Amino acid sequence: MSSIELDHVSKLYANGAYGVRDVDLSIGEGEFVIFLGPSGCGKSTTLRMIAGLEGISSGDLRIGGRSVNNVAPRDRNIAVVFQSYALYPHMSVRDNMGFGLKMRGVARPLIEEKIREAAGLLGLTPYLDRKPAALSGGQRQRVALGRAIVRDPVAFLLDEPLSNLDAQLRAEMRLELVKLHRRLGRTIVHVTHDQVEAMTMGDRICIMREGRMIQVGKPLEVYADPVDTFVARFLATPPMNLLPARVEGRGDDLAVIGDGFTVEVPQMHRAAYAGLAGREVIFGLRPEDLHEAPQPGFSPIEVSVVAMESLGVENILVGQIGTGASGGKPLEISARLSRHFTAPVGARVPLHLDPRPMHLFDPETTRAFPRPSLRLVTN
Amino acid sequence: MRRIGLHLGLLFACAVILVPLLWVVRTSLLPEHLSYSPELMPAVTLDNYVALFTSTRYGQSYLNSLIVAFGSVVVALPFAAMTGYAFARFKTSGRAGRFAVLATQMLPPVAIVLPAFALLRTVGLTNSLTGLIIVYAAVNLPFLIWILMGFFEGIPVDLEWAAQTDGATAWGAFWRIVLPVSLPGIAAAGVLGFILTWNEFLFALVLSGPQTATVPVALAALQTSNGVQIAKVSAGVVLAVLPLVIASRFIQRFIVQGLTFGSVK
Repeated sequence: MSSIELDHVSKLYANGAYGVRDVDLSIGEGEFVIFLGPSGCGKSTTLRMIAGLEGISSGDLRIGGRSVNNVAPRDRNIAVVFQSYALYPHMSVRDNMGFGLKMRGVARPLIEEKIREAAGLLGLTPYLDRKPAALSGGQRQRVALGRAIVRDPVAFLLDEPLSNLDAQLRAEMRLELVKLHRRLGRTIVHVTHDQVEAMTMGDRICIMREGRMIQVGKPLEVYADPVDTFVARFLATPPMNLLPARVEGRGDDLAVIGDGFTVEVPQMHRAAYAGLAGREVIFGLRPEDLHEAPQPGFSPIEVSVVAMESLGVENILVGQIGTGASGGKPLEISARLSRHFTAPVGARVPLHLDPRPMHLFDPETTRAFPRPSLRLVTN
Repeated sequence: MRRIGLHLGLLFACAVILVPLLWVVRTSLLPEHLSYSPELMPAVTLDNYVALFTSTRYGQSYLNSLIVAFGSVVVALPFAAMTGYAFARFKTSGRAGRFAVLATQMLPPVAIVLPAFALLRTVGLTNSLTGLIIVYAAVNLPFLIWILMGFFEGIPVDLEWAAQTDGATAWGAFWRIVLPVSLPGIAAAGVLGFILTWNEFLFALVLSGPQTATVPVALAALQTSNGVQIAKVSAGVVLAVLPLVIASRFIQRFIVQGLTFGSVK
């Protein structure tokens, strides 16, 4: 049994500040869960509490159904891979990997066999006699993983293990971790602040902010239906466009009107948003929902180009809309356009906005106003 | 032009430090009656060294110094390592505790030496190497604690966490991971403690007797009613400096080696 349950778990520091606040989460056996959030949001603290390296101020933590609040790290049978890898510098790769088994009194031949197995799996066989100092960053990362694997723990806790690798290696290791998860079938909790890792690796994402877990769900669920403006902006680059606006009209004429844009609320959302008529809102739309070509139902806007970023597969247009008449600056907006679309800086270009995936947020609480989900992926 | 000025300045600084030392080496190798000769090197002899060992107790004192310096380091280091680790990792007595430890170093030694003498007399350890070892271990402890605290703070806590999740107890993590990793730091602290004890004069003067005098006391004893025996003093100083030269070679290597070679990126 390797399920992990956090039952209203909090971490209160001596100075009265909460590191983690009332986290309630159930991680199923064999599940790959991502803790995502900006630095200082409490995700690593939560991970360390699961590992037993950090005390729990209140709440209950259960691993495999057993409450482990007062169980020492060594008795939880959980492996942690640290951001710094934390390899023992005075030991060879072989001894690093075998340390956990040695501590548990496993017989030497069995330790050797497990090390050989894990080293083969991770491509570390030629380096077994080297010290960590003589390894590259990627190899050290593998040793840290190997050290976790040989112990055959009930769960792996990974604390930003890929953040010290260069972009290409990170992409490779991302894939390898996913494969490893499939192969071992163990519960994995992966802490990261990288949205790509969050979107691509896990079964579920848990987004944390200021010690609280603000949204938990499948990656595409969270992407399609963020609970507030923070999640909306955090989960992608460029982030969701958030524009102050006002809901006007009624029935078929329900529209969201802001400085430089008017969006007719599509049929599917009218019932949900009808009650907002006359209210100030924040209009949210992802950059990929702005298009160069008009289509029925799309709303036209005019954007003056501030910058064009050509990424090869696509072009990101950063522009301004509106006049800033309401006292503020003109609103900044980004659009993910085809790689064939170019426009000089300063030009005014027409774009077309697909209103179906739109979101409306409460400007005071920043929470999303509920509306029917548009997700096409349901698994 | 600036470089020339810089180098001249550095040469001058080297001269200020080296000339007296070289002069002592020269005097130690001259026959006694030529000690104050204006010539650079009128003759060479090892008589002063021979006389030092035959007509005085310098040999005995040298051995005493070695025993006391080694002994005090061996006694003080384990305590310093454990206390330094506790200060570095835990909230043990907070900042106040750390500074209280350092504050004991701020008392003038003369204020401690008489109480120390009274204490040792009560337990019958005056004029004994054991007494000297205990006193030096105690006197050097705060300094060693502070040095080691710095070294332990430089060791990433991740290493201990990794060891603990790997199945080690807190003590096991300290013993198997922290200690080996901080060995260069502990060695450096040991060498510094050795040098401190080796050079100390006041405590040795008050707490030792003729049998247990250390090198600084023995050198001072060469200042007799017939004047300073400068040739023997020079020979004694040259020999006294030797362990320090060797020690500084070691300490340099250990410190340069660094602490966490490749454990974390």
